[in-house]
Amino acid sequence: MADTNETILAVRGLKVNFSTPDGTVDAVKGIDLDVRTGETLAVVGESGSGKSQTMMGIMGLLAKNGTVTGSARYRGQELVGLSPKALNGVRGSKITMIFQEPMTSLDPLYTIGRQIAEPIVHHRGGTFKQARARVLELLELVGIPEPGRRIDSYPHELSGGQRQRVMIAMALANEPDLLIADEPTTALDVTIQAQILDLLKSLQKRFGMAIVLITHDLGIVKHFAERVAVMRRGEVVEQGTTADIFERPQADYTKMLLAAEPSGRKAAPADNAPIILEGRDVCVDYAIGGGFFTRGNAVFRAVDKVTLRLREGQTIGVVGESGSGKSTLGRALLRLLPSSGYYRFGTTDISGFDRGQMRPLRRALQLVFQDPYGSLSPRRTVGEIITEGLHVHEPALSRADRDRRAIEALKEVGLDPASRNRYPHEFSGGQRQRIAIARAMILKPKVVILDEPTSALDRSVQGQVIELLRDLQRSHGLSYIFISHDLSVVKAMSDYVIVMKNGKIVEEGDTDGIFDAPREPYTRTLIGAAFNV
Amino acid sequence: MISFILRRLASAVPTLFIVVTISFFLMRFAPGGPFNLERPLPPQTMANLMATYQLDQPLWRQYVHYLSNAVTGDFGPSYIYKDNNVAQLIGKGLPYSIELGLYALLFAVIGGVIAGTIAALRQNSILDFTIMSVSTLGVTVPNFVVGPVLTLVFAIGLAWLPAGGWGDGSMRYLILPMIALALPQLAVFARLTRGSMIEALHTDHIRTAKAYGLPARTVVVTHAMRGAMLPVVSYLAPCAAALLTGSAVVETIFTIPGVGRYFVLGAINRDYTLVMGTVILVAIFVIVFNLLVDILYGLLDPRVRHD
Repeated sequence: MADTNETILAVRGLKVNFSTPDGTVDAVKGIDLDVRTGETLAVVGESGSGKSQTMMGIMGLLAKNGTVTGSARYRGQELVGLSPKALNGVRGSKITMIFQEPMTSLDPLYTIGRQIAEPIVHHRGGTFKQARARVLELLELVGIPEPGRRIDSYPHELSGGQRQRVMIAMALANEPDLLIADEPTTALDVTIQAQILDLLKSLQKRFGMAIVLITHDLGIVKHFAERVAVMRRGEVVEQGTTADIFERPQADYTKMLLAAEPSGRKAAPADNAPIILEGRDVCVDYAIGGGFFTRGNAVFRAVDKVTLRLREGQTIGVVGESGSGKSTLGRALLRLLPSSGYYRFGTTDISGFDRGQMRPLRRALQLVFQDPYGSLSPRRTVGEIITEGLHVHEPALSRADRDRRAIEALKEVGLDPASRNRYPHEFSGGQRQRIAIARAMILKPKVVILDEPTSALDRSVQGQVIELLRDLQRSHGLSYIFISHDLSVVKAMSDYVIVMKNGKIVEEGDTDGIFDAPREPYTRTLIGAAFNV
Repeated sequence: MISFILRRLASAVPTLFIVVTISFFLMRFAPGGPFNLERPLPPQTMANLMATYQLDQPLWRQYVHYLSNAVTGDFGPSYIYKDNNVAQLIGKGLPYSIELGLYALLFAVIGGVIAGTIAALRQNSILDFTIMSVSTLGVTVPNFVVGPVLTLVFAIGLAWLPAGGWGDGSMRYLILPMIALALPQLAVFARLTRGSMIEALHTDHIRTAKAYGLPARTVVVTHAMRGAMLPVVSYLAPCAAALLTGSAVVETIFTIPGVGRYFVLGAINRDYTLVMGTVILVAIFVIVFNLLVDILYGLLDPRVRHD
């Protein structure tokens, strides 16, 4: 990295605020940042910390009700207060950006070749035809296979990882000085995440541009950035070299963030613990193609001959990337979708059970979903939501009894019992996840399938939810199936791990064995991607 | 693409059949008949008339008879306009309706899209509120009010334009009826465009385009507008079918010799065959324009391309 001393972006006293019907919201409260040639600065913070809005403000991309004040100088040129037209001389040529959402950041109506060419044609002149050679070169550079064919593809024809590569090609097109990467890997699978970060790193070495990496994930910062700025509630609480931040954090918030990396292990239950839920040779098929009248003739096997035995008090972690069939497996085990195989709950063979036969068992077999926003009805109070299952499974309970149970359940998940009269939108993401857990716990289940219960949460909140789940397991003797793509969470939660890929089990074993001595290359890739990028 | 078009045209046959069947029986179940005049005809005359037009036959036989003739392009005689059969009546009137409708369609689409885009770009400004208020007015005020007001102001008051008639078919005669016909549709296009433009301007890929320093014009025209046109294009089919097949109200007010009048006159007079003819005409227009719009949609949006 040549000449790391020269500051190319100097941010001083930068403020961003939004005028809303409820008054002005200060998203960024006067921060200072410096970015030097060729370095990587990570701006880390949880949701709402103002890390993205800082960069959006500098780049003139705030929503209409947002204003930016203060100073941001790019090589001496003030960017704050510049007209959009003047800013266009810098945006897309000297400073470029990639975003979190590779699915929606590209225009669905134009080929990727044309979209990459647009900033070239616009900033350097020439025609789209002339830019084509350069676009091919860029696609090659970012590792898109068969660039000659792919150049005429539309975004919907590419995978998420490929689209992010296209965004990177666009960002590199004019050989920028500074690349701002706003959560560039958050929406991607772990293995793809690692590939994208590797690509950014190697391109940085080759072209020497500086990178500002905006992220909530401290894990990827450690191996990627030279310097880190930690943001909280619109302020920079601490900044320094990556080594300093990780080894000698000063601010309490930074210490808390670092400690929030899920830790601890779960001990396996005794070997003679009885099996509570078993699925043998579980297969789930989806028909693909076909319309309303025509049966699809092709079949997609989402889960392929998976066998799983859950013991009392055990937590089995099911890991895999999107599309690996892990969520489908969870639903098949609860007999929530058509599947073949042999199923046993306790000592009861439930393979042939229909909906009516399953209903009395449902109480003991609960499911907690990923999305704490989507899975709670916005029009019902928390009390109504969590007692809904009692109406079905314990219809004899009086109103007062139900209320007592609701209070109990809310206390158990660490929420104020008074919250049962409020509505879901009044709660934060972590609190909503607690509500979702209370809804399952109120029925006193035996088995809970947790489908990505912590994926939508910030790290610090994630740690608390994991703690809660472990406490509940201990005090009630629960068995969990814990489905997640997040290996650090799985490591902290489960005593047995199943690794899935394309609907099949690739590898399984005790948590320690899987993480310390993975046998399969795929498992090694997953672990490598998650723990040392 | 060709197989897509052929498949769609083939599926039009059962659609037309259902439309014809339903409207045939609906029409017959309505009370009255083509020869029930204010002063009743003598029974013998009536019986002769009914026999001439085979209206004395059982209903199913009349239906079969109508269908088999219609397939060959014979839509029967008109009971009221006795000099012409239905095909001739429609053949004479249709060119007028199409010409006027085409101008109205162009005016509505171009005017509506421009007004809607301006409103979206200046969201919540005075200009936006003005455009939206006028377009609410355009949707709510019926054209039997707009038509006479236009005549009153521009033909009688200012005497700039003729009050009605086709004249020599020059633009002077067409301006007022075109505006009366287009105004409600223009308002719909303006509202549709505004809504989808506002949505399009807030998408992530528009943010990308801005982040890459593309000029405002490129951002709006190349990226936002193309996406925003998709719902507008969808509305094009029913709108075009309605405008090109004429409007009873506008054609009557401005004395345009188009086919629009026949819908109302045919229905009032129980001119069974004329009503059937106009229904089939509209159905064909709707089917054809839906097909054209689907093709256009595929050209605009690669995700729904038919290949």
